[in-house]
Amino acid sequence: MSAAPAPRAPLRRILDANWPYQLLTFALFAAVWELYARQRGGLLLPGFAETARATVDLLGEAELWRALYVSNQALALGFGIAVVAGVPAGIVLGRFRLVERYADVYLNILLVTPMAAIIPLLVMSVGVGLASRVLLVAVFSIVMVVVNSRTGVRQVDPSLIEMARSFGAGERQIWARILLPGALPAIMTGVRLGIGRAVTGMVIVELLMVSDGLGGLILTYRGLLKAPLLYGTIVIILAEALLLISVARWAERKLTRWARTQTTGGAQ
Amino acid sequence: MIKIRGLGKSFTGQDGSTVAALRDVDLDVGAHEFLTVLGPSGCGKTTLLKAVAGLVPWDDGDILVDGAPVRGPGPDRSVVFQDFALLPWATVLDNVAFGLRMRGVGRAEREERARSLIATVGLTGFESKLPGELSGGMQQRVGIARALAVRPRVLLMDEPFGAVDEQTRRLLQEELLSIWEEHRPTVVFVTHSMEEAVLLGDRVVLMSARPGRIADIVPVGLPRPRAGDVGALGKSGEYAEITAYLWDRLRAMHAEHRPAGAAS
Repeated sequence: MSAAPAPRAPLRRILDANWPYQLLTFALFAAVWELYARQRGGLLLPGFAETARATVDLLGEAELWRALYVSNQALALGFGIAVVAGVPAGIVLGRFRLVERYADVYLNILLVTPMAAIIPLLVMSVGVGLASRVLLVAVFSIVMVVVNSRTGVRQVDPSLIEMARSFGAGERQIWARILLPGALPAIMTGVRLGIGRAVTGMVIVELLMVSDGLGGLILTYRGLLKAPLLYGTIVIILAEALLLISVARWAERKLTRWARTQTTGGAQ
Repeated sequence: MIKIRGLGKSFTGQDGSTVAALRDVDLDVGAHEFLTVLGPSGCGKTTLLKAVAGLVPWDDGDILVDGAPVRGPGPDRSVVFQDFALLPWATVLDNVAFGLRMRGVGRAEREERARSLIATVGLTGFESKLPGELSGGMQQRVGIARALAVRPRVLLMDEPFGAVDEQTRRLLQEELLSIWEEHRPTVVFVTHSMEEAVLLGDRVVLMSARPGRIADIVPVGLPRPRAGDVGALGKSGEYAEITAYLWDRLRAMHAEHRPAGAAS
């Protein structure tokens, strides 16, 4: 009984995890890329192996680390602003219908506007500098934070608010003890989605207007026709985005464990 | 203890029509009395309770608790909710201590008081569990402990055992009676169960629907303490007599309403 499943157990665990499948599709993707690059060849289309080598080389370059620092400065500041302003804004919108009536249209505009289109506008009014990049990252990512925080507050059981009031809680305590913790799972989802958009915003503004940081690096390598390094830079940007999203997901699971006991345990 | 005079409240529906939830409600609840409020669904009994709690505003009349008019929630009253209203992210201990925290009681004192009430409702050992890990009956024990932790003079209970199964309900009724017999807070207990109203109450207030009005007040002469033997009480002649009377009244009310509300 105990001996039989033992040899199968490790295999099971491997088959149940996501990474073997992801590894498989990645290998397939790399193979197709390599084959295609060898068929077509050319200066502007490096193969997979060449890109991988260039990526490793890049990691040893001071140039890359400077670009990473410059870009992430804008990312951290901009996304920080998005969270610090977006969460309270979302809570206000979720709690007060009247405010929402006024603000809803602007939120929709932020959601649907192609953000690249407002970059020139931003640069003209704020200038070509850190401020411009920070602002764009914030504008890019704040919508996700606001919309999800609002949804989170709406999902908070109104009887919890009534309960808190019955014990004499004021508005401030209702925010701190009921709305914020109750909306936390949705807020964390907004943070995770917002990070993706923040990275996009960070790169786009550098590519389109303020030639600096990682986006600037891409433009430089393109100008010098250094295709492998160009690809390597993109790989590094993707790696950073994936890393940040994994961290956000991990924090989300860590902070909102109760939300899962809730759905499985239920009221019974 | 509680004095309600001429209480009236109406709701405005989405089509603009007004529905009288409560009309001309006069009621006195004595100190240390266990009053049960019984009525069909939609009779306004929960609205009445929440008005006393200071959670919903009303249109006409006055509510006085100990001579002071009710203008909102106060430390003299606490509520046990039908759907438990526990914080799903907080442990049993933090949930029980929640009311004390809102009232600014320091951490050490509120945890000590919370632990002693957790023991009172028989949940020792579950202090660090989350509500989602507890059964419905255990969740309501947490709700009761939280309400008692603030040492209210009036305990307002809104169909507290409506969402738990029959056996659990029996056990909770017995436990509530023994807690009440020991501490003797004034209790207003809303229920839609005749049996429960009679087994628990000193008096049963019978309400009629649309508009919500007090139709009758029936004294229950069953001996106290009742905690040990709820089952035997249920077989006594007096219990049978009172429930039969209440049932007649409820059925008559239902017949009255049938022409207007044939759909229900």
